[in-house]
Amino acid sequence: MISYRRKEIGWAYGFVAIPVLGFLLFGLLPLIASGILSFTKWDMVTSPKFVGFTNYVNLWKDEKVHKGLFNTFFMLIHIPLGMFISLLLAMLMNQKVRGVSIFRTIFYIPVISPVVAVSLLWMWMLNYDFGLVNQFLWDWFHIKGPNWLGDPHWVKPSLILMGLWGGVGGNMVLYLAGLQSISSTYYEAAEVDGANAFQKFTRITVPLLSNIHFFVVVMGVIGTFQAFSQVYVMVPDGGPEYSAATVVFNIFQHAFEYFDMGYASAEAWMLGVIILILTMIQFRLSKRWAYND
Amino acid sequence: MKVKHFALGAAFLVALTGCSSNSAGSNGNSPANNTGTKNADNTASNAPAEKVELSFMGHGDPNEKKIFTELIQSFETKYPNIKVNYTSVPPAEYDQKLTTLTAAGKSPDVFYVSGPAFYRYAESGTILNIQQYLNKTDLFKPDNVWKQATDRYRYDGKSLGKGDLYGLPKDVGPWALAYNKDLFDKANVPYPPSEAGKWTWDDFLNTAKKLTQDTNGDGKTDIYGAANFPLEGAVWANGGDYVDYSTGKIKVDTPEFANAMQFVADLGLKHHVTPSPEDAKAMNNYARFVAGKIGMFPMGPWDQPAFWKLPYGWDLAAWPSSPTTGKTATWLGSMGFAISSKSKHPQEAFNLAAFLSLDKDGQKQNMEMGQAVPNLIDMAKNDFLQNGKAPEHKQVFLDIIENYGHPTVEFGSKDTQWLDTFNQDASKVWTGKETAAAWLKEIAPKLQELYDKGNK
Repeated sequence: MISYRRKEIGWAYGFVAIPVLGFLLFGLLPLIASGILSFTKWDMVTSPKFVGFTNYVNLWKDEKVHKGLFNTFFMLIHIPLGMFISLLLAMLMNQKVRGVSIFRTIFYIPVISPVVAVSLLWMWMLNYDFGLVNQFLWDWFHIKGPNWLGDPHWVKPSLILMGLWGGVGGNMVLYLAGLQSISSTYYEAAEVDGANAFQKFTRITVPLLSNIHFFVVVMGVIGTFQAFSQVYVMVPDGGPEYSAATVVFNIFQHAFEYFDMGYASAEAWMLGVIILILTMIQFRLSKRWAYND
Repeated sequence: MKVKHFALGAAFLVALTGCSSNSAGSNGNSPANNTGTKNADNTASNAPAEKVELSFMGHGDPNEKKIFTELIQSFETKYPNIKVNYTSVPPAEYDQKLTTLTAAGKSPDVFYVSGPAFYRYAESGTILNIQQYLNKTDLFKPDNVWKQATDRYRYDGKSLGKGDLYGLPKDVGPWALAYNKDLFDKANVPYPPSEAGKWTWDDFLNTAKKLTQDTNGDGKTDIYGAANFPLEGAVWANGGDYVDYSTGKIKVDTPEFANAMQFVADLGLKHHVTPSPEDAKAMNNYARFVAGKIGMFPMGPWDQPAFWKLPYGWDLAAWPSSPTTGKTATWLGSMGFAISSKSKHPQEAFNLAAFLSLDKDGQKQNMEMGQAVPNLIDMAKNDFLQNGKAPEHKQVFLDIIENYGHPTVEFGSKDTQWLDTFNQDASKVWTGKETAAAWLKEIAPKLQELYDKGNK
């Protein structure tokens, strides 16, 4: 009996050890290493040199870091836009119509497509001369489309447009789940009180989805601050006048193009702190508006 | 089964000891690492010479990969005891991959390296001083190899260009001016001369204007006189420079630089003889030239195989000279072969690099496949010039190598952030938002700061 239990405990530890070791090796260790490296200058070829807070001081002065941060904050626009569209879609997809599951699938497909493939696709779509988007604008409205990826003013809207296309499906599914969890008794009661459709939407649907709004906002902010692949694929030099570069893109450039690992680590820590602060603020604020039944 | 266990154990040990093994160890050929397997394999056979495996990493397009695969086969026939494991990486990822491998102590035995990376590697002792091997081989005849190429791989412990050789040139890359003969014939203008100094920027511009045409009358230009006039060449020809590497001073804030940059920008902005950045974004200029819609266009020797298939006549001309100095310039690039200082088989690695860089047969094969101008001067001046293939005036390539080619801007700069920033923000000038002079004045102090930060 005892030996049986001992064996079982052994197995238990064994299974627990795998993720724990994995975390220690690939999570905690790199985290500590990057923290230490952020105080050094290291080109990966020679050994690291301790430089104190120089990297952090330089971060404050680095114009490209400022631009990366500005671009990232600008991209946050896509969160409310995306929420609005996904909620609208979710309400459409919540109808009891035949074939609705096909549409749900269609809207969800972009979510599971790899970012790189999606980026390549949109590069063609947004091409200035022969892209589908500009072709469509010209054929239907006789509008000369902008140079989406080549004009510093249009790069960010292009990325936002692509992000919406790829992102609304995922949020739609979340909203759909939320909508289906709202009990119909609320609506019935409101109807008895004489509420119209708009009132039902703003007074019942939107507030009762508040915990989903919260989840979408938090994940959206984190995701936006970590955006990298689409920039790297679509505008590999950061775009004209660095107008498309995100913070992570800047980190990548310092780490793997200029081989300045210390500076890249410092910037990564800066980004980590920014995300932490933003998330904490959101959790604080959420107490005022997000319900949890 | 046993072998498998052993390999697993070895791999685990390597992982535990912090990946301190080198390339030879990782491909399983170092005697210390696999005596067990070796005995098991070789008991029956009595192999004459010890088999040596080398790793070799390069980059390039599929065509270059094909050429090097064939060259390596020839090398292996010549040295039957050496096996080469060749990896070709997409150019954009190359530096990243190489540096990561080096940081992990696993750099390939032989690899491409040039410019900023070469400087960094030489300084950090990552690449081997090959002078002693060169002194012993009869392959290397200093008089018969372009000095402009070999000098780039010299390092004296402090700066580039002097001292011992740390690499051998893979090639020399003269950036020449190609032109579409058919378009010139159609517009009825004379071909540009192949001799430097006979044609100025004004001649170039006037010719380009005559070539530029709207063939179908829709108000959009269909054929452009030129494209991609390189700023570097214009600046050097005009007597300016980006940076003075001896003092580390950024020199973009000069009238020579500004005039040259304005000339290049005006080709598109004012004279509309080159595609605008927007046009270039839509259809890249290379594709445009190949489609026969550009009169004059820069090319390197590696473009030859593709250009041989063009449905129209083409040839080379000298770059036009600056009207103020009368001089002309363009860049002469080069990639080099370097050997890892941690290679377990430096002699064999050197043999490979020397074969690829200097061997007559190898160079001939490379030349015939059209990838490069031979590194061997006698071969370049005879076989290459007379190989009967386009372009007719191949002499232009050799003139650039010998007379007016200039190392690329980043050569000699360990860190290129300043140059990236320059190129990124230059769109303000290319799109006409600012004049060259105003923008250069504004950007110069920023570049100086970045240069000092990365290169001190």
